[in-house]
Amino acid sequence: MKKSKVKVRICLGTACFVQGGADLLLYNDFVDPAILADCEIEGCSCLDECKVGNGSAPYVSINDKIYSGVNQDMFCKLLAEAVKNA
Amino acid sequence: MLELNNQYTLMKRKIDTEVLKNFFNDTLVENADRLPLEIIPKHRTPFRCCIYKERAMVRYRIMAISGIDIERDDDEEKPLAEYMKEVLAEDKPPLPLLTTISTGCSGCPKSQYRISDGCRGCFARPCMSNCPKDAIIFINGQAHIQEDRCIRCGKCMEVCPFHAVVHIPVPCEEACPVDAIKKNEDGIVEIEHNKCIGCGKCVRSCPFGAIVERSGLFPVAKMLKNGEKVVAMIAPAIEGQFPGTLGQLKAAIKKAGFYDVVEVAEGAEVTSIKEASELHERLEEGENFMTTSCCPSYMELVDIHIPYLKQKRSTTLSPMGYSAEIVREKYPDAKSVFIGPCFAKKVEAAKKYRDSIDGVITFAELASIFVAKDIDVREMEADDLGDTASFEDCRQFALTTGVAGCVMARYDNEGKPAPKTMSINGLDKKTVRLMKTWEKRAPDADLVEVMACEGGCIAGPGTIVKPALAVKLRTAAKAAQK
Repeated sequence: MKKSKVKVRICLGTACFVQGGADLLLYNDFVDPAILADCEIEGCSCLDECKVGNGSAPYVSINDKIYSGVNQDMFCKLLAEAVKNA
Repeated sequence: MLELNNQYTLMKRKIDTEVLKNFFNDTLVENADRLPLEIIPKHRTPFRCCIYKERAMVRYRIMAISGIDIERDDDEEKPLAEYMKEVLAEDKPPLPLLTTISTGCSGCPKSQYRISDGCRGCFARPCMSNCPKDAIIFINGQAHIQEDRCIRCGKCMEVCPFHAVVHIPVPCEEACPVDAIKKNEDGIVEIEHNKCIGCGKCVRSCPFGAIVERSGLFPVAKMLKNGEKVVAMIAPAIEGQFPGTLGQLKAAIKKAGFYDVVEVAEGAEVTSIKEASELHERLEEGENFMTTSCCPSYMELVDIHIPYLKQKRSTTLSPMGYSAEIVREKYPDAKSVFIGPCFAKKVEAAKKYRDSIDGVITFAELASIFVAKDIDVREMEADDLGDTASFEDCRQFALTTGVAGCVMARYDNEGKPAPKTMSINGLDKKTVRLMKTWEKRAPDADLVEVMACEGGCIAGPGTIVKPALAVKLRTAAKAAQK
């Protein structure tokens, strides 16, 4: 059976964008292409996590699970894990 | 220079946002002294020596964002609340642009080359044979540099096959293109303000955050809060700095309290037209070259360090200058605020446009206003930008070669070969040295475009996203338009 792609959404609310979320949009430059091939990455409207969550911006949603304070390094690891478990 | 987004800039944005939130909620004076404790909570693992120093640095950052000249006005006994009262009552003078936090300075040792234990003591010893001063000796089979002989040319580092030679710079001194940064007798940073050209490279290169810009945010925030009629002039570099489209950004800026938004690209069109005809005239008169005049840091560089170029730079006003005229004509009773990527624009506004420009803030500061006011650019209903056809190409002013490109597009060469252009892409010690030689040997070009930041304004010290991403987003926006 063909594996379904990992759905990744990067919050592009202004707060996330300026706190480093923008950097994640350069994913082509820092994520392993083999991993990228199995992911569907898009920027999305504010996930509203900053209003309720206890974490910190930027927020990323991977297969509908929310992660907070995501930097480039963490982004790579999260994607690798999600692809492995898919 | 440090990468744009690092722990320090992210912290800076957080502090700015908290200060503004309190300002707009009328709780600034009341909460000011609590902010450092809230931002650096007890359980935090500190990056500096301890949380107490981190809190002290937050205090200084709050002072800088409110425009206080920390060098001259640092009273440790005075509560932040008192400072805030002062700032709310009266705007601080905008110059000098930069200030230092002496307790934040790490007192980096003098710039030096050192040989690490990666040295294999090889037989060829290229370090020794290539050192012009015979400064390298071998002790116990390992190379050593004799400090008193070393002239820090870096040859040994270039030739070592094991990369065993390391260069340990003083980041701020290294970054300053005009040697305006010195250490005092205690080894602590000092800025020679009369030499400073306001490029902001030292601010961005200090990993300890010991050099800060005195923000012009408060005067602007006060205007917004008092409901004054303020028109925002947005620099061409703004495209790609925020999520969403330019139209949405315009709507967001208006939601933040600005009355209207004028694109500085509109003023850039006037600059391009006038600079094109000025170039034409000058070349007719047999002059050898002309430089652009829109980069305020370059203007300061010429005024202070290379007086010869005064006659060579264009007398045309910068896009900001013409944009202020456009605003004045359209809304005679409004105040105008320039929003850009640049620190030196504050200097330009304070020196040249005291009467027509009422404030200068950066993109990063605008972002703090958005976050403090809970404005989400991407969720806004796009505002109409009006007819932008004639000046759309002038948004390229924000990129290296963009200014020269716009000027040439408006140059009438009457069938003769087009003038040659050249660009100085970023000021550093080397390009400044080169420009100083132009008096004796003119550059091989008719129009020289000078930009202090490498890559153009999109790499300015007040930007939010990395230049590479800004270019990507700008290209995507252009594609979406078609």
